[in-house]
Amino acid sequence: MKTDILKINEGEEYIKIRYKELTPSIKRILGILDDAPDKIWGRTDAGTVCISLRDLLYLESVDDKLFAYTGDSVLKIDGSLNSFMTAFDDGTFFRCSKSMVINVGRVQALKSLSSNRIDATMEGGEHIIISRRYASEFRRLLKGDRS
Amino acid sequence: MKDRKKPTLWEMYLTKEIGIEFKACLYFFAFLFYYCMFRIINGIYDASILHMAELILICYAIGYVQVYLLWNFDESDKLGGREVFGMIICTAVYCTASWFCDWFSKNIPATVLFAAYILLVYFCVYLIYKYKRIIDDKKLNEDLKLFQASHKKSE
Repeated sequence: MKTDILKINEGEEYIKIRYKELTPSIKRILGILDDAPDKIWGRTDAGTVCISLRDLLYLESVDDKLFAYTGDSVLKIDGSLNSFMTAFDDGTFFRCSKSMVINVGRVQALKSLSSNRIDATMEGGEHIIISRRYASEFRRLLKGDRS
Repeated sequence: MKDRKKPTLWEMYLTKEIGIEFKACLYFFAFLFYYCMFRIINGIYDASILHMAELILICYAIGYVQVYLLWNFDESDKLGGREVFGMIICTAVYCTASWFCDWFSKNIPATVLFAAYILLVYFCVYLIYKYKRIIDDKKLNEDLKLFQASHKKSE
């Protein structure tokens, strides 16, 4: 993508974006311009929508497609769980299994299960199992000593 | 970057192995107590090293069976039919071993009582793990609330 940056001494500051397709990078730029870096774009049946990361309950990867769940809607997001964690993780998102990421800020309750697994009840009432492999890291995250 | 803290397959295997060792010791001491009581009641004030060796080896072997084949029933979340079935199978193996290894001098009432004792021990261990998880629940939820509060403050 070409960029054209021009310093001006007078007149109104403005940014013009020319795009052919609303790619994730363009959406991210739009998010920053919207003064909302904590927003994410996704597709629903109704079209493309932008929601706050705080509204997300969890993300799930199904057949290489990434879906974000809020209390009342499901959005298809571009990218993978890894790219999401790299771009947006502010410490409240946690990879709880190979195919899921939860928003710890929206966890309602936790229940310790056998074999060192943890059952996380989300605000929407969904139960998400944090597998044995990720449970000890999750405990460290809650205690605030995850690097 | 975050995967550094994720346990490796080796660490996970080791955790399971330590769990089996722990189980073997736990059940060995519980059954040794019964064995010693049987000996004392019968006026014998020493324990056979051979019997103890057989007991620990069987406890160890059954520990593997419990963990890998019988759904680790004593640590399960609920005591359902599957778990009871596991308990009965293991009890039957212990009783058969006790009979052929002559731990209780082929005494039928002592063997039947041993079976009841094993089931009681399994039930107690199930309760211990259950209450351990209940305490862990409280700790986890406290940590969760603290985590959420600290993240709300920093927003």
